[in-house]
Amino acid sequence: MNDLKTVIGFTIKDMVKRKSFIISTIIILLIIILGFNIPNIIKLFNNDSTRDTKDKILIVDSSNLFEGTLNTINSMDLGYEVEVSSENIEFNKIKERIENKEIDEAIIIEKTDTNYKLRYIVEDMTMISSMPEDLMTAINTIYTNMQISKLGLTQEQLQSLAPNFEYSVEQTQEQKVSGNVMAIMLLSIVLFYAIYFCAYQVSSSITTEKTSKIMETLVTSTSPRTIVIGKTIGIGIVGLLQVCLFVAVALISAKLFLEPGLIESVLDMSKMTPYLAIITILYFILGYFAYALLYALTGSTVSKPEDIQSANTPVAILAVIGFYLSYFTMMNPTSELNLFAAMFPISSPFCMPFRIMMGIASTSEVLISIAILVITILVIAKVAIKIYSNAILNYGTKMTFRDMVKIYKDKNN
Amino acid sequence: MGLKLENVSKKFVGKQAVDNISFEVDKPGVFGLLGTNGAGKTTTIRMLLGIIKKDTGDITWNGKSVERKNVNFGYLPEERGVYPKTKIYDQLMYFAKLKGMKNSDADTAIKKWSKVLKVEEYLQMPAEKLSKGNQQKVQFMTSIIHDPELIVLDEPFSGLDPVNTEILKNVIIDLVSQDKYIIMSSHQMASIEEFCTDILILNKGKTVLKGNLKEIKDTYKANRLEISANKNIDKFIEEFNMNIEFSKNNEYSIKIDSEEKAHQLLEKLVSNNIEINKFEIKKPTLNDIFIEKVGG
Repeated sequence: MNDLKTVIGFTIKDMVKRKSFIISTIIILLIIILGFNIPNIIKLFNNDSTRDTKDKILIVDSSNLFEGTLNTINSMDLGYEVEVSSENIEFNKIKERIENKEIDEAIIIEKTDTNYKLRYIVEDMTMISSMPEDLMTAINTIYTNMQISKLGLTQEQLQSLAPNFEYSVEQTQEQKVSGNVMAIMLLSIVLFYAIYFCAYQVSSSITTEKTSKIMETLVTSTSPRTIVIGKTIGIGIVGLLQVCLFVAVALISAKLFLEPGLIESVLDMSKMTPYLAIITILYFILGYFAYALLYALTGSTVSKPEDIQSANTPVAILAVIGFYLSYFTMMNPTSELNLFAAMFPISSPFCMPFRIMMGIASTSEVLISIAILVITILVIAKVAIKIYSNAILNYGTKMTFRDMVKIYKDKNN
Repeated sequence: MGLKLENVSKKFVGKQAVDNISFEVDKPGVFGLLGTNGAGKTTTIRMLLGIIKKDTGDITWNGKSVERKNVNFGYLPEERGVYPKTKIYDQLMYFAKLKGMKNSDADTAIKKWSKVLKVEEYLQMPAEKLSKGNQQKVQFMTSIIHDPELIVLDEPFSGLDPVNTEILKNVIIDLVSQDKYIIMSSHQMASIEEFCTDILILNKGKTVLKGNLKEIKDTYKANRLEISANKNIDKFIEEFNMNIEFSKNNEYSIKIDSEEKAHQLLEKLVSNNIEINKFEIKKPTLNDIFIEKVGG
């Protein structure tokens, strides 16, 4: 037990003192703070240039189709400053005014044989495919209103023409999903990366010990089991604290920099209960352990740093399969496949916390899922420690899967 | 009592690494494990410390299996290694604590040994900034810092300069005076001759010679004469049908069959008024014995 504490302590101290760890933590924190400031930054730029100065539009209505009513666009707060001209202004004149920055764009209303045509003129149409939707709607509405008002209808008749519907969405299934699925999927990505990268550290830590040839001194100082478990716990503690720090900074940043109510509009904060927090941390820990022990296994099979990528590939593929199984089934959270993803140990850590968040996971489902994950971890731990104990002194070529099976079956080891 | 290996064997895929070896270290001192590269020395050491499992045989320390709980041992592996990014003090403290030492005891021991091994000034530096020799001394410290009763040193002098070799030798002499049991493998025969009371020579996993070093050497007759004269004595040597191994500036190393013949040569030279500066009949060195046993 003392050895375990010593290994955990050394692992934590060694990890947090590393320059690469400190720098990457600071960079991620800055990205988080910057991320929550994006709305403010956009606002800052908009304030400086576009928002204050509205788009100046010249509307040429030489046939007087709108009878001077187009000026009402100015009071619609669409971000346009409209100048209406009833004179026939030629295209070249408009071009000149646009080039002189007197106006930003222009609309020419032309009468054709059977209809009216609106020509939208801009300086550069690379990024523009048609007239802005809001402007088209505004012009159509003004025209309709103008024509209706000519019919001499009463106020009541006028009101009955304008639709005033209320909308709601309801479902036939009994299980009801709450919360914004997109936001939950985003959190699932965060949880996946947190688990994956923390677990990956275990592999690189073990390979570092192998490549620095310190393994023999280490295994004669304590048992391989203590090393594997101690390392996994130590790196896990650092990872968990790091994630907590990121979450705390994200929450503080959200409070400080985002407009009130913005987070609540995306995430149902009433679902963020202590129970959910505990379950999420529990799944983080269990998911981390499952992947970290797999990485301990692969890390111990290589002796050169350049082999670590290829040795870790099977675990990476497993993690990606687990993640996507969870991610894509979350688009249809009440499906049986999503329930499977919440039970299957390689995907359950990325899936179950969000089923709970969406309010569709029963307590029995959660307990079964945790039990499956714990059993899986114990099996992986047993195999990983056995392979680790025998593979750490292999300084030759990278071990193959067949070598690992042979080691595991060898009763003498 | 002490360390006992009985009929120990280990086979790796397609190769008998260690074949039925037995030896006993029943009193404090340095036991020498000799052999060419790949003879099975490191495999023997790894089995002895339980790093790899033996196929057959028994390995005991005071009648009990060699495990951390039964014996307080220290080990300097052949593969030199330190944590490159970690401060020397931190890694020494780590290993001392894993060996069951309290913080304060470990601190005292680190300070004591770093002074003896002259690495005091590097304690707060990461290992990667140290020379290989100094890293090796740090690793040697991890093997003795916890005051073990059994110390296993695999090629302790390889890669060390003469100054550091001397420092390490003095520490080993000091450890022997404290009645430590030391198993040492080395290619440097001079070091083995200097320290070891008993030796075992391995060749291709098999024991080719073992026993008390002095007794082994006593079984060998004198086979070399070293002589230095004031002039060339080639014709006298030829007269006695002796083979010159080496000669330079009237200094000779000559192979001899018997001590008697050497004395006859000396008489002849004196009677011919040749001035003799050196006349030494020598027994084979450990190096000679080693080459005879494994080199042929």
